[in-house]
Amino acid sequence: MSDTPILSIRDVHAKVADEDTEILHGVDLELGKGEIHAIMGPNGSGKSTLAKILAGHPGYEVTAGSITYKGEDILEAEPDERSKAGIFLAFQYPVEIPGVSIANFLRTALQSREEEGGELDLFDFQDELLARMELLGMDASFAERPVNDGFSGGEKKRNEILQMAMLRPELALMDETDSGLDIDALQVVADGVNKLHQENPDMTVLIITHYQRLLNYLKPHFVHVMVKGKLVRSGGPEVAEELEARGYEEFKTVEA
Amino acid sequence: MAQSTTLDEPIGGLMEGVTDSLNSDLVQSRATGEPEWLRNRRLDAWASYERTPMPTTRLEEWRYTDLSRKLSLDALTPMEWSERAFDRESAPARMAEAMEADHESSGHVVEIDGTVAHVDLDADLAAKGVVLTSLRSAVEDHPELLEEYLATRALPADRGKFQALNAALWTDGIFLHVPRGVRLEHPVRVTRWLSEEGKALFSRTLIVAAEASQVSYVDEILSDDMEVQSLVSSAVEVFAGNGAQVQYVSLQRLGHGPFHLSQQRTIAGKDATLDTLNVNMGATTARLDLNAQLLGSGANSDMLGLCFGEGDQHFDHNTSQDHVAPHAYSDLLYKGALDGRARSVFRGIIKVHKGAQQTDAYQTNRNLLLSEEARADSLPNLEIEADDVRCSHGATVGQLDQDHLFYLMSRGLSRTEAERLVVIGFLGEVLSKLPLGGVVEKISRAVEAKLNV
Ligand SMILES: Nc1ncnc2c1ncn2[C@@H]1O[C@H](COP(=O)(O)OP(=O)(O)OP(=O)(O)O)[C@@H](O)[C@H]1O
Ligand SMILES: [Mg+2]
Repeated sequence: MSDTPILSIRDVHAKVADEDTEILHGVDLELGKGEIHAIMGPNGSGKSTLAKILAGHPGYEVTAGSITYKGEDILEAEPDERSKAGIFLAFQYPVEIPGVSIANFLRTALQSREEEGGELDLFDFQDELLARMELLGMDASFAERPVNDGFSGGEKKRNEILQMAMLRPELALMDETDSGLDIDALQVVADGVNKLHQENPDMTVLIITHYQRLLNYLKPHFVHVMVKGKLVRSGGPEVAEELEARGYEEFKTVEA
Repeated sequence: MAQSTTLDEPIGGLMEGVTDSLNSDLVQSRATGEPEWLRNRRLDAWASYERTPMPTTRLEEWRYTDLSRKLSLDALTPMEWSERAFDRESAPARMAEAMEADHESSGHVVEIDGTVAHVDLDADLAAKGVVLTSLRSAVEDHPELLEEYLATRALPADRGKFQALNAALWTDGIFLHVPRGVRLEHPVRVTRWLSEEGKALFSRTLIVAAEASQVSYVDEILSDDMEVQSLVSSAVEVFAGNGAQVQYVSLQRLGHGPFHLSQQRTIAGKDATLDTLNVNMGATTARLDLNAQLLGSGANSDMLGLCFGEGDQHFDHNTSQDHVAPHAYSDLLYKGALDGRARSVFRGIIKVHKGAQQTDAYQTNRNLLLSEEARADSLPNLEIEADDVRCSHGATVGQLDQDHLFYLMSRGLSRTEAERLVVIGFLGEVLSKLPLGGVVEKISRAVEAKLNV
């Protein structure tokens, strides 16, 4: 980890934009290029809030601290700018977009990444989409279904990873991708993510999860524990095992 | 409502909406040289206009559209009929672009400022007896059909202030007759252009599709943006004979400025299918009155509509599913997307008459608000006098929320692209039910153009 970190979060405090209550009370985290990190923590501790802030959700406000991505302050950047710069968030609760097919959505997203005046090659796109869907065990007919509209929980999560595979991020934030997936689907999705990581070993991954299970497939280099808006413990994969055995009880008494 | 009478009020009439230039002299001059039946129809219509009070917001049907503020009849001068040549090369850009997108047609009509300037019809269809012509020439060439159908069975003049006004003052319009059993493979396409501001334009469309015939008809109206208001009054009468299949599509893409008033009545015979699609994109104010009558048993009507408003646009849709005959089916789906301070009103009634047993009638209105200041009012209504029917109605107003936008933008779409995708997706449900060539593309492009302003 000699390079400058791809993402560096310093003492970040954050709240809901039009409310006063603070949700994150000083988060520090550094992610090195190509590393896999996991954040675990009880419900409501602020994991999704952190992920959404990194992707630029306008509903939250960072009141103190800094976030730099590839050495640059990104706090003022719009979500689309961050996406084009290589940040991707796989949502815990993906949004339904009636009437817009997955293929159309992804085509538009990729087109928006082209240089001014550049045209996406539609044949390449189609080939790539089919290959990625196969990788994730998705039927080709899926591409014509409206985004997340009427999808099962598992289908929504798979669709998030399909988008990730198509957009090829440099920093992938996966917020509870494992919840809602059955055991077989979990394996397929994890294999898919591993494949992406092999394709691009520089891709950095931040996994948010409640379960050891996913981490058995996607082996994290570092595991962090978030409680009440703070990271209270960081270490290697063994941290996840400790949590599996003992739960969060010991951390809950820690001063927030 | 108390009515005070003053000395100079003419006997038997309120004379509301009679102005220096919209008056009985004008009706007389329009009727000059016309056959007697038509002259009488105009004069009766005018009398009815004078008698009928100007609708106010106290009337349920005009509750959300205040004509006293939205329409200045006093400031308008009537558009006169005048001989015109149409030259594609020198057509205004917007008009040329619209016609460019019209591939595959059975025939084409161009109307400029209320005068038909060009008609062409596939020669084979003409040989089979299809008539596509200006209303003025139809008066001379097909008097029996016009006398039977024009401004009498579908839109009689005594059924409303503006119905009367149009019946009295129309300058021209389009007449389409499809004889028994004749089927048109491609749509008939009409391009209507308004070039002048400060005008009142009255045009009519009469479509008579005889038994077992089939036709689709796309009626597009356009203009550039205008500083001063014009009134465009369109009266549309569509008859589908027994077993006929008819689709009528109205694409309203006027520029900013005009007030569009569209009155439509469709009458479907036994086992006929008579579908409509009304697209409202343009104009500052657009009012649609659509009455779909299911007159023959087993008749079918899909009634589709969509609008996309921005700025201070105001759309008012007033629909009626009029079930006279038993075993008929009607299904209405109107969707509106509204940005800026735009506003839409949907007022729909399903009316099932006494004898109309086994009616299936459905009505859905959905709205999507893209801004805090946009507004949609939805007033679905049922009036059922038969006991063995299946009817339902529903309305929703949703907001394009922050989470939707964030999701799309987090994939790299700009705010505008995200809105475009959501709006097209939302409105696409309507278009997918009537996928006529050229129409979907035009609407998609119109949506895009509006989001980019
Ligand atoms: N938009 C919001 N408005 C109000 N409160 C919010 C908002 N977003 C988050 N919160 C609150 O902030 C806290 C952290 O929420 P967050 O969703 O980040 O938790 P989480 O760690 O992801 O939980 P889970 O494991 O259940 O997904 C919670 O108390 C939540 O109710
Ligand atoms: Mg969460």
